[in-house]
Amino acid sequence: MIFTEQMQQVVAVVLDHDTDGVTKELLRLGLLHFVRITEVDRDIGPQVEEVTPRVAEAMITEIRRRIEGFFAMVDDQPPSGEDLKVEDLQAVDLEETTKILDNLSASVQTIRDRQSARQQEILRLEDIERQLQLFGSLSEVVEARSQYSYLSIQTGSIRKLLIESFDQALSDTPSVKMEIGTQDDQALLLLITMKRDETLTNRILDKFGWTDVHLPSELVGKKDQVQENLREKLELLKDEQEELKSKVESLIREKRPALEQMWTNLRLNELYARVQSFFSKTSRTVIFSGWLPSSKRPVLAEAIRRVTDGRCYLEWHQPREAEQPASVPVQMRNPKFLSPFQMLVTNYSIPEYGTIDPTPLVAVTFLIMFGLMFGDAGHGAVLLVLGLLGSILYKGARSAVRNLLHLIAYCGAAAVVAGILFGSYFGMKWFAPLWFDYHGVVAGHGGGGLVTDIYGVLAITVYFGIAVIALGLVLNWINCVAKSRWFRLFFDKGGLIGGWIYGAGVYAAVYFVRHDYRQLPDSNLLFLLIGIPVLLLTLKPVLEYSFHKPRKPFTFFTPVDFFMEWIVEILEIFSGYLANTLSFMRVAGLGIAHVSLVIAFFSIADMLSGPSGSYTIGSYLVLVAGNVLIILLEGLSAGIQSLRLNYYEFFSKYFSGSGRAYAPVSLRKKIK
Amino acid sequence: MAGPLKTYAFVNAKLRTRISKILPEEFIRQLIRSRSVAESVQMLAETDFHPVQRIYEQTGDIKMAELELLRKEVEIYLELEKLLEEEVRGFVKTLTERFEIESLKNAIRLWFDCRIRGRSIENAGGYLLRRTIHHSIDLDGIINADTLEGVGDLLERTPYAGIVREQAARVTEAESLFPLELALDRFLYTRLVEAGEQLKPRDREIARHLIGVEIDLQNVGWLIRFKHFYSLDTDQALKHTLPGGLNLSVDLMRESYASERADREMAALVGRRYPELSALLTSQEQVKSTARLTMIERILEQILALEVKKILTGYPFTIGIILAYFILKANEIRKIMTVLNAKFYNWPEERILAVI
Repeated sequence: MIFTEQMQQVVAVVLDHDTDGVTKELLRLGLLHFVRITEVDRDIGPQVEEVTPRVAEAMITEIRRRIEGFFAMVDDQPPSGEDLKVEDLQAVDLEETTKILDNLSASVQTIRDRQSARQQEILRLEDIERQLQLFGSLSEVVEARSQYSYLSIQTGSIRKLLIESFDQALSDTPSVKMEIGTQDDQALLLLITMKRDETLTNRILDKFGWTDVHLPSELVGKKDQVQENLREKLELLKDEQEELKSKVESLIREKRPALEQMWTNLRLNELYARVQSFFSKTSRTVIFSGWLPSSKRPVLAEAIRRVTDGRCYLEWHQPREAEQPASVPVQMRNPKFLSPFQMLVTNYSIPEYGTIDPTPLVAVTFLIMFGLMFGDAGHGAVLLVLGLLGSILYKGARSAVRNLLHLIAYCGAAAVVAGILFGSYFGMKWFAPLWFDYHGVVAGHGGGGLVTDIYGVLAITVYFGIAVIALGLVLNWINCVAKSRWFRLFFDKGGLIGGWIYGAGVYAAVYFVRHDYRQLPDSNLLFLLIGIPVLLLTLKPVLEYSFHKPRKPFTFFTPVDFFMEWIVEILEIFSGYLANTLSFMRVAGLGIAHVSLVIAFFSIADMLSGPSGSYTIGSYLVLVAGNVLIILLEGLSAGIQSLRLNYYEFFSKYFSGSGRAYAPVSLRKKIK
Repeated sequence: MAGPLKTYAFVNAKLRTRISKILPEEFIRQLIRSRSVAESVQMLAETDFHPVQRIYEQTGDIKMAELELLRKEVEIYLELEKLLEEEVRGFVKTLTERFEIESLKNAIRLWFDCRIRGRSIENAGGYLLRRTIHHSIDLDGIINADTLEGVGDLLERTPYAGIVREQAARVTEAESLFPLELALDRFLYTRLVEAGEQLKPRDREIARHLIGVEIDLQNVGWLIRFKHFYSLDTDQALKHTLPGGLNLSVDLMRESYASERADREMAALVGRRYPELSALLTSQEQVKSTARLTMIERILEQILALEVKKILTGYPFTIGIILAYFILKANEIRKIMTVLNAKFYNWPEERILAVI
């Protein structure tokens, strides 16, 4: 768990006619993080050529994405990787698939075009509605229409029989037509059109034998009625739009099984092509290479032998044999419950292969820091419940979201524990603290317990910082030994000499404090503790110069360079460690701020209390709002600061984030 | 008076985050490769442009989707205005006015088409940006006005009334809106230059620089129109250009317009100030004389992109970040609009790539 997974590299040679079987088996297993054979052995380049997959991966990907586009039109997802089976892989006919998709696309486009036509009608009516709003009474308009520039409103009659074709003729012109009565075989109509369309409208009216009829204003009706009529028409059109929109959805849902089948086969072919894109071949053999966890070696070896009936050659390599150590992929092996913390680590970077995976340590340090900064059992319980509730509600969400929700729950639990230690429950002291009364300390009345003043709180965080930094140094030494980096082990800022100076500095500081800030350790001891390692550091530039290849010429300035490098190194070590250690005081700072905010909200609630001193509704509202604010604001601050301390004070001591993640080609591989 | 850090720290952080979300070229290429408008629009669903996809899904109307893109861009400007300190807000407000002027021009174009040319403008009013930016403009009133003087009356409470009235006679005489559009653009750029002059020295310099390139681009755009649609002679054409350009001197514009030695002048300019773009010139060596102005336009676009890049890698707390964001965002929106429209008209991929 503490180190990254042991990896091995396989170089396999199989016969050309076993390529298909081997490809499928590799895909089924999903174990190999492929590398090109030419990267493994540069000399082999001229003797091999790349295998050209039957169908180009890029073309398959493009069509697969097209199908996903159709799924997205109905807010649907493609099938999950879990459902993919190599047995379902069939030869893909890209031309035929494209044709089917083009047809579907054309059908969708036809419906969209119909929607567009409806939209034009909507726009026309909205145009009239806008114009209508510009003036008051309708009858006034009819009476004196010429002075109104925008709309033309007229009353008249045509034969009842012609109404339908009249409507038809007007359909291309923005208009509202209302039947307001009948007279023998004539229909009395109110017609509203845009004045700018007068020429066209008059032509239609002439064609249908429109006769102007002067109608009394009470017969014409009110503007509201026209607007109502317009609104009804608009509603109808908008309903039609909705119907057309759902037609697209129905169309795609109807095709979903076929699309799903096509998508599955495309995805399988895409992965098949990706596996083969790493293959190289000679006239009769195929060669490939990749990394896998050592524990999986027997599984892979057995599978390849089985598929090829033993007609294969497998060569295994250890990571130390790799030409470029950084090319070895890294598999972190942490239990599932640590995945939120693994996410924090990988967000920073992937640890270098063969070094310490800090995930479990981050889990501990992150939660301690969070607890110290957000130490309230009540607030913690809220976070815990929110985190757990979110995890249940968003079970199907992306893993990053799930991890974040789990992290919130963990932080909540840490805050509950810290709250119990500090005896704080929503800022109230329901139970006696197990460690010390944080509120009492901040409020200035101690409250009893192991810590009685602010300096005590600051001291705890400084000691905690020293412990974290010391742990970082030890981890760095372990990494240096594991990677045989002996020079770094001794002379790195986080190496043995650096650690020696830090330890001595801490001792001297503690001694000074314990002697009432008046006395430092004995000068001989100080020389042993600090002087010797500082002097030893003079060797660093000299040794670097001696081992550096090609060696730079020794000039007059070389010793000056040595001296300057030595001075800078010492300054960096002293100022760096001091700053790193004091940086942990922010943990106390945030914790004090948390308590101060709680105290402040209680003070406001007290001010709002009634004459008898009992809390009023206002007091309770302030307390609820205050607690919500504290949970949100302080929760976020404490989370950010914990992360920052881990990244910059802890990781900087030992973490080499130059690794690259183990990414085998697998059926369950995430789709990009 | 607030220092640059206070003025720009928040905006700078906000805009840099937004800049990082600007769609990459690869996405635009995928958009171009899609088989239909519906498929192109669907691709926007996973981006910041998802409202465009939603509108298209509801209406099937690409112009409504385009209007949504424009609305989104205006919202960005207006939001930024609220976030800025007073001394910079004035400048950004002037930048925002470009949308108001564009909207006004669109309404006047509809009026002109309907009243003067007698064309049908059915439904076109629905595609106007009906959002008050800084001045309330009665777009429906303008479309339905009897005369251009009437349009001027409707704009009484805006700075545009005088311009419209002043140009009314010329528009009638020329039977073209070009004099009015030109006057409105000139008004905008003059205001921009004036607003830029009110900024602090460092900001002023950056604003001059970027607006200078924009003015160059605007001038070249006009010269192309003068040459191809109005056949104006050189002096007449140059009379209409704007001062304040960064790279295009009057002489260079004169020579470019007359198609004499322009390539050499441009090559000298590019070689001297923008050596990164030299390849662009050599690849265009064989270009026909009629396309020279277009070529210069392309080079100026690249120059603008280079200037933006310089700003993004330089001192962060200046007006530059705002201008850079606006330019990048406008470019992104222009590309999306172009692709969607091209898809609507079934343009082949190569043709779309050529205009992007």
